[in-house]
Amino acid sequence: MAELDLLQGTLDLIILKALIWGPSHGYAVARWVAETTGDDLQVEEGALYTALHRMEKRGWIAAEWGLSDNNRKAKYYQLTPVGRKQLHDKTELWNRYAHAVSAILRTA
Amino acid sequence: MTSLPHVRRFLRVDRGSVDVPGGVADELDFHFAMTIDELMAKGMSRELATREAHRRFGDLEMTRRGLQHIDQERVSNERRARWWSGMTQDLRYALRGLRLSPGFTLGVMLTLGLGIGANATMFSIIDPLLFRAPKYLEHPDRVNRITVGQMNLGTEYYRESFGYQQYQDFIADTHSFSRFVATWSSRLAIGSGADVKQEQYVSGVSASFWQMFNAPPALGRYFSADEDRIPAGEPVLVISWPYWQAHYGGRRDVLGQHLQIGKLDYTIIGVTPRDLLGLSLRRSMGFIPLTSIAANVMPDRGEGRRFYNGYSFNWLQLAAERKPGVSAAAATADLQSAVLRSYERRREAEPSTPPASELQQRAMLSPVQSEAGPNRSTATKVGTWLVGVALLVLVIACANVGNLLLARALRRRREIALRLALGVTRGRLLGQLLTESLLLSTLGAGLGLVLAAWGGAVVRHGLTPDAESIGIFSDSRMLAFAAIAMLIAALLCGVAPAVMVLRSDLAGALKSGAREGGFHRSRLRVTLLVLQGALSVVLLVGAGLFVSSLRQVQATPLGYDAEHVTYVEQNMRSAKLTDDERYHLLDRLLARAQELPGVVAATRTTSVPFYMDWSEDLFVPGVDSVNKRGEFVLQAVSGGYFKTMGTRVLQGRPLNDADRDGSELVIVVSQSMAKLLWPGVNALGKCVKISADSLPCRNVIGVAEDIKRGSLSDDPGLLYYVPISQFPVGAFGIFVRTAAPATVAAEQLRRALQPEMPGTAYLTTQPLPDLIAPEMRSWQLGATMFTVFGGLALLVASIGLYSVIAYTVTQRRQELGVRVALGASAASMLRLVVGDAMRMMTVAVALGIAGALIAARWVGPLLFHTSPRDPIILGGVAVALLLVGLAASFAPAWRAAHLDPVTALRSE
Repeated sequence: MAELDLLQGTLDLIILKALIWGPSHGYAVARWVAETTGDDLQVEEGALYTALHRMEKRGWIAAEWGLSDNNRKAKYYQLTPVGRKQLHDKTELWNRYAHAVSAILRTA
Repeated sequence: MTSLPHVRRFLRVDRGSVDVPGGVADELDFHFAMTIDELMAKGMSRELATREAHRRFGDLEMTRRGLQHIDQERVSNERRARWWSGMTQDLRYALRGLRLSPGFTLGVMLTLGLGIGANATMFSIIDPLLFRAPKYLEHPDRVNRITVGQMNLGTEYYRESFGYQQYQDFIADTHSFSRFVATWSSRLAIGSGADVKQEQYVSGVSASFWQMFNAPPALGRYFSADEDRIPAGEPVLVISWPYWQAHYGGRRDVLGQHLQIGKLDYTIIGVTPRDLLGLSLRRSMGFIPLTSIAANVMPDRGEGRRFYNGYSFNWLQLAAERKPGVSAAAATADLQSAVLRSYERRREAEPSTPPASELQQRAMLSPVQSEAGPNRSTATKVGTWLVGVALLVLVIACANVGNLLLARALRRRREIALRLALGVTRGRLLGQLLTESLLLSTLGAGLGLVLAAWGGAVVRHGLTPDAESIGIFSDSRMLAFAAIAMLIAALLCGVAPAVMVLRSDLAGALKSGAREGGFHRSRLRVTLLVLQGALSVVLLVGAGLFVSSLRQVQATPLGYDAEHVTYVEQNMRSAKLTDDERYHLLDRLLARAQELPGVVAATRTTSVPFYMDWSEDLFVPGVDSVNKRGEFVLQAVSGGYFKTMGTRVLQGRPLNDADRDGSELVIVVSQSMAKLLWPGVNALGKCVKISADSLPCRNVIGVAEDIKRGSLSDDPGLLYYVPISQFPVGAFGIFVRTAAPATVAAEQLRRALQPEMPGTAYLTTQPLPDLIAPEMRSWQLGATMFTVFGGLALLVASIGLYSVIAYTVTQRRQELGVRVALGASAASMLRLVVGDAMRMMTVAVALGIAGALIAARWVGPLLFHTSPRDPIILGGVAVALLLVGLAASFAPAWRAAHLDPVTALRSE
């Protein structure tokens, strides 16, 4: 299967989803995305950090500095209530979108 | 995945500066370190792992810059939001506090509103007089009025009017100025025939006038130098914008229309921009060439003497614009030599004039605002004083509001200490207190502007009735002034509570509660209170002095009954009558007036108090150089003069209709004149010769009481009366005494008499009280304003006193309760509390009286027959303030005396 380009806004959705289980640093988010999608979705890590920072600016996620398990200083991201709502809304939107598109494709 | 609980927090964001690049670098370092570790754990070499990590990441530098940019924006957004939320929080907090105590809020708003309003009012009046450059003036920093200081009998006076010849000399002899502008204005009748409107101001200006302003005409064009030439200029007219609107409805076809002004017919060639007043504060109906107004108004004085030649006729006001780069000092020196050269020319033409060394002429470049120059009017002087008064009112208002805010802060003292202990910064607390005072002063400033818009009109009418007014709410200088006043008020009011917050000692406040600390701290309140009291004393003394002056002015005997006398003046315009015909016309007017119902008496006159004088040389046998002893004013009248004016004849008899041409030559002199010329001797029967020593004697037949004619304060009262048929000096007007007050009768008289006038000639009538009113005005206004402000200050101070005493009593409940419990009598408790108040008030009175005595030196010259150190006024004010102190402290004292000791002791 060919590599898929990320649809606009989908990266945000994925990152929000990655943070649903609790605070996490950028590296962990990148790992999780890579593991979950396997090789189907290629996410450039630079783009991922950009998205993280942009969402922090928008107030969807909040950041705090902490120490990682191996005692390194790391920046932890966490969903804010706004971010949680974004995740909910966007998931719904994405599902409707996916259903609509696949419905079309089925009839064709 | 990691969790946070044990993690130490780095609260970077809350520090002043945030290291954005450092944060981004740290984050990316961590990412690469982790990735490389992971890849190496899978067996890659470090070099390969590093390369792979970078491959996965993409363009590192671009991303880094992108992240820094995003973070930078986020940080500043957050900072703004934090500032804003702190601000709105403070504002909400302050608003809630104010809403909870509406009485306090209203009181403070009113106090500050009055303080700021008083200042805005005075600023709106003084600003155009002293500081504001004329509208549209192109180089206000280089334009000056020309003044020449000149010695006269040992004192320097400042001459601001010049002759046309001098004006030309200055232009020719100086090189520092780009242009000179000459102006003159006069009241002239507008229109013709039945349409004659009352007289209005018309400005004559040199053609150079228009180049000084950066203001193209609203319509048409201005006149040029070609149209402003001696001997008579061109009869062209540029009307003012308001006149255009009012009389032509703003129609564009006004150009080319004709309008009669004075005795000439003018063609309208242009309309000025709306707000162009020229160099004056007074609105003119229009502008005509200087040479044209002179030709219109100034009579040819015979023998080729015209307004533009000779040096003895000074009528022009001059202004000059310095060339760019020429300093004021250099231009003054340049002008100085021109003044001296011009004077030398004058000496050549008129050898009898005194040598230049006697005059010590000094050229001066005065401010373009005439009132800012050396010849300030009484109105401006009084206005300047009122600015000071308004400032005092503001200071008192601020002291009072500061006091009230301080009381609130003291009540919240424990809360403040607690918040400080919890780590709220003092800066934040200060911000909150200042927000509160800023909010209050903003409300006050809003109210103040409303008061100024309304009160300003009243005061301006009293002080400078002719000046064009400015719209308080549409004027940027006024709004800026109000904003500055508001900020100053907010700072002044907020200072006292702020000092308390900054100095407050945490532990003490928390331990002792409100009681001890509060009582100790109220020393600041006492200081503010004493300040208020002292300033109120100063204002009240001022009020007393001005009221006393006004009463003296009003009680000054004028020597005539102005109330019922109207001056009727004839304006001949183009009607050409010989002197004889004009005398007959006056006699007809007189006869007609005497027939009118409601007219008591009428007389012809040649001098009108406060309006015009006529004098002639006098010669008295046995008295040397009479004319050097003073200016003797001639009053040539018809019989019935003394009855008309209500002037008493103290000795001998008045003039009557039997004193005519051909009968014995007679004269009535004023009391002062009789005393001056024949001290200690009966004046009746003495000889006086008018105009020339060679003429026959006039027999003094009566001595009349002195009258005020030039000044209410120090008029020498030298006046004499002769029958007009025996000394026909000219045809002026008539005085008419009516049963009704002159202000009511004047217009009826004008209508009844106007039909007697030939052709386009017309009459004007002036009630004598109107001529005297301007003399009274500054005292009237000073008395009113000082009284109003002084009363306000007293009210504010007594409220302040009451609140401080009441507060102190509450603070001392426990101590007072102990006293009552130990058996102190009600009377001794009253004495204790009232005594405190009286001590404060005594200090305030002493300081205030001292202040008033210091100010006496400057206020003295403004007063009328009143000493600025008048002991009755000073004593009266002192007593009044002490009584107010007594009254204000009585209620809290009563409460203290009737404390229930048990409740008082338990309450802490």
